Amino acid sequence: MNYPVWDIPASGLLIAFIANVHVFVSHFAVGGGLYLVLTERRARRDGDGPLLAFVRGLSRFFILLTLVFGAITGVGIWFTIGLVHPAATSSLINTFVWGWAVEWTFFAVEIAAAMVYYYGWDRLPARTHMAVGWIYVASAWLSLAAINGILTYMLTPGAWITTRGFWDGILNDTYWPALAARTFVAVGLAGLYAIWVAAWLQDPDLKAQVARDAAWRWVLPMAVAIPLSLVWYLGAAARAGVPVAEIFGARDAGVPALVSAVFGPALTTGYPVAQRAAWWVVVTAAALTALTLQLVLKRSHSYGKPMAAVLMILGLAAMGGSEWVREDLRKPWVLGQYMFVNAVRVPPSEATPQPPPDFVTRFGADRFTVDAINSSGVLKASAWVRPVPDDLLAPADYPARAEHQGRELFRSLCSACHTTDGYLAIRPLVRGKSPETLSGVIARLAAPVDAAGAAVAWNTPHVQLKTWRNRRMPPFVGTDEERQLLAAYLALLGGASPSALIPPSPSSDVGKACFEANCAACHGPEGLAPFDHKGHKPAELYEMIGRLPAINEMMPAFEGSNEQRKALSEYLVSLPRPAPKGGAK
Amino acid sequence: MIPAIPQPDPLALPAPAWLLWALLMLTFFLHLIPMNLVLGGSIVGAIARVRGRRGDRPQDAELAHLIVKAMPILISATVTLGVAALLFLQVLYGRVFFASAIVMGWWWLSVIGLLILTYYAAYLLAFREASLGTAETFLAWLVAAVAGLIALIYGNNMTMMLKPNELVARYAAGGGGVQLNLLDPTLFPRHLHMVLGAIAVSGLAVAVAGIVRRKQDAAFAQWAVRCGAFYCGLATSINIFAGLWWLAALPRDVLLQFMGHDMTAISMLLAGILLTMTGAGLLVMAATGRRPEVAVTGSAAALMAGIVMMLLTRDTVRRVSLDLAGFETVNWVAPQWGPIAIFGALLVGAVATILWMTRALATSR
Repeated sequence: MNYPVWDIPASGLLIAFIANVHVFVSHFAVGGGLYLVLTERRARRDGDGPLLAFVRGLSRFFILLTLVFGAITGVGIWFTIGLVHPAATSSLINTFVWGWAVEWTFFAVEIAAAMVYYYGWDRLPARTHMAVGWIYVASAWLSLAAINGILTYMLTPGAWITTRGFWDGILNDTYWPALAARTFVAVGLAGLYAIWVAAWLQDPDLKAQVARDAAWRWVLPMAVAIPLSLVWYLGAAARAGVPVAEIFGARDAGVPALVSAVFGPALTTGYPVAQRAAWWVVVTAAALTALTLQLVLKRSHSYGKPMAAVLMILGLAAMGGSEWVREDLRKPWVLGQYMFVNAVRVPPSEATPQPPPDFVTRFGADRFTVDAINSSGVLKASAWVRPVPDDLLAPADYPARAEHQGRELFRSLCSACHTTDGYLAIRPLVRGKSPETLSGVIARLAAPVDAAGAAVAWNTPHVQLKTWRNRRMPPFVGTDEERQLLAAYLALLGGASPSALIPPSPSSDVGKACFEANCAACHGPEGLAPFDHKGHKPAELYEMIGRLPAINEMMPAFEGSNEQRKALSEYLVSLPRPAPKGGAK
Repeated sequence: MIPAIPQPDPLALPAPAWLLWALLMLTFFLHLIPMNLVLGGSIVGAIARVRGRRGDRPQDAELAHLIVKAMPILISATVTLGVAALLFLQVLYGRVFFASAIVMGWWWLSVIGLLILTYYAAYLLAFREASLGTAETFLAWLVAAVAGLIALIYGNNMTMMLKPNELVARYAAGGGGVQLNLLDPTLFPRHLHMVLGAIAVSGLAVAVAGIVRRKQDAAFAQWAVRCGAFYCGLATSINIFAGLWWLAALPRDVLLQFMGHDMTAISMLLAGILLTMTGAGLLVMAATGRRPEVAVTGSAAALMAGIVMMLLTRDTVRRVSLDLAGFETVNWVAPQWGPIAIFGALLVGAVATILWMTRALATSR
């Protein structure tokens, strides 16, 4: 909103694509350096000429892959997040410019050391060559350690939320477990890449020597260490307020419950993308481990490029899935407890450092917090929203105006995650829904709660979210009129006739209006559970409406007046009972 | 009326603006040197390769070989130092930089693909030069062309961000990220000025390479100084006109700063012109004089100082343009002195480590 929205479908997938291929190479850049130095040391110590020649060949592959593809795709992530999430990138740079500057010093040494290491094979004494290798290892790992602070801050910002302190953000709750996990991944990937490069060797004994060493010392130990570190990571994230159990639809954040949820029947709550990504990680990592074992036990002399390629693909898939899960744990935030994916911020708490008066005088009060946008509206806060053409301002033009403004609202508020018909498509979700129903759902996408689940204000430090069906959505922000415009646009996407759209006005049928706004999303004719009064009397329904969460914890409490509650109960008994499952019979 | 320039983050600037500006200037200067050698050097190298293929010009072939070997390292240095400059640019000017980048999103992102392409082409040349046949000439020109295209894409973003008030209308016309700033009258003279400047700096580098190798190969050294002087002198001469074209294309209010309104701006511009012309002149003298190493050293010092002046002039154009557009610097500062000190110490350590490693490589032949 503060920045233009890059108008491409599924822009988040662009980040995912570039980030996944980058991390697969950049972690190898860390672990691979260690592999090179340790294997070189062993080859020199044992006077193993063929092994030394292999390490030398690997180092060429290493610099061609890591210095070019790895380094440039790293810059590519930076370019992409600036295009897709400019507000978040700006916040990150403002907060952690010195973190990035520190990381850059390590990066510069890492690049120089890699080059000197490669070009120094014939020119440097062995001792100096090894020293350069160790400089590479140290700088590459320190670069990872620095970036890890910024990445983990995005999920668990910790005390930064109130202090805005650099170290509070960097050394956050998930910093150490994530650093351990990434280090283990880097080590495991080094072994995987060694197996891959060894597949090209003509000497079967050397191939087997490299493959066995890579598997037993590098890949397989990490197949134990990585899951343990991830359990540590998930536990730390849960303790820091990330609703891990809720996202996976599990009873609690313990490993048995999470595994059970991920491999159990399809869930109607939580975040399905995260659940599928976690399933993918477990399956691909298990397959990778099993195939590595098979290779090392039975085919270390004879395995070929296809088998090595399958291992690499499984490694990429497991790594990509893990990063995907990490991203999904953060949703709907882009910066945890600070900024949603659509760049809307929560207002600062009273304890947070406030901008000085001359800053506010020069730039005005923050226009992009939940409260500010609810007051001003999206269309009046953003310079990048296309204004309504003059010929659409008449009341008779409401459908066309709703389509125009609704599309602008969708672009500003929803398009960070949803497309119309592609990835996380919105059309199937709104098909057949009325504007009133959609407006009701939109109004309750997310609400601020504290750790105990009690309603709080948005500026509460470490605010948590109670989201609609635990789907991890950000709250709708904007005026009531904008909510109705967005709902009308979504209804049009869902197949509503433009002629059926009329400007919202107080309904004469209070019970029906209450049903549309509060119940129809799930209990309408097209919903998950079409309403059936089962012969209940209005008085009984009136009583039941007063304790909805007790009947089903997924149902929100009814928040209307007693008159509305009474009208709703009377409307409910007037609804026809749905046909039994299986047809008219 | 909603301001076109995005509102600053409600976060304090993590360092005084002067420090961020100084680091932007420093890192950008350091980036400019390898970047000029990639951009200009790839052109000089491609020409030398074409001339060297005739068989009767071994010095051209030798120069093409030297450039090919150096190119991957130069690209790496360009990217590494450019990352730092981009970081400090985003802290100070992110509000207009991001908005502009989004309007030209696909073009901006294409820089990554183009960089990978040119980097691998440079490595292919460096590793397989002898076995590529006629493909080597194609690859040499490919590296030059892609480097020039990347420079043009950067130029588009750097000029478009200076006109934030136009960005809203541009975005309203299409937010898919395919727009460029091709109708800006400053774009092409600016680009031409940069490319010619890069050729001039590369000419200096050719002469320096000759001086460095004068004890091993005196004939090549003499030829390289002459060759470098030719490129530097010719490019600088043409660049006077390109520079005047760029100056004349500037918006009137910006141009006025260099026409008497701002004595500092005028002084920097004139100093830049004088220093670069002095540098080129000294290099031409080196090609004919008895002690070329002295003249080449003087030329290098003058050209580097000239680049600093031109860099500050370019910064003045940006500052004045943004001032006129209503851009204001964030006036809420809470310096993170601890991390700043750590960065300073690590920077010193990084420079020392890199120097030690490169010295070890250079002296262990």
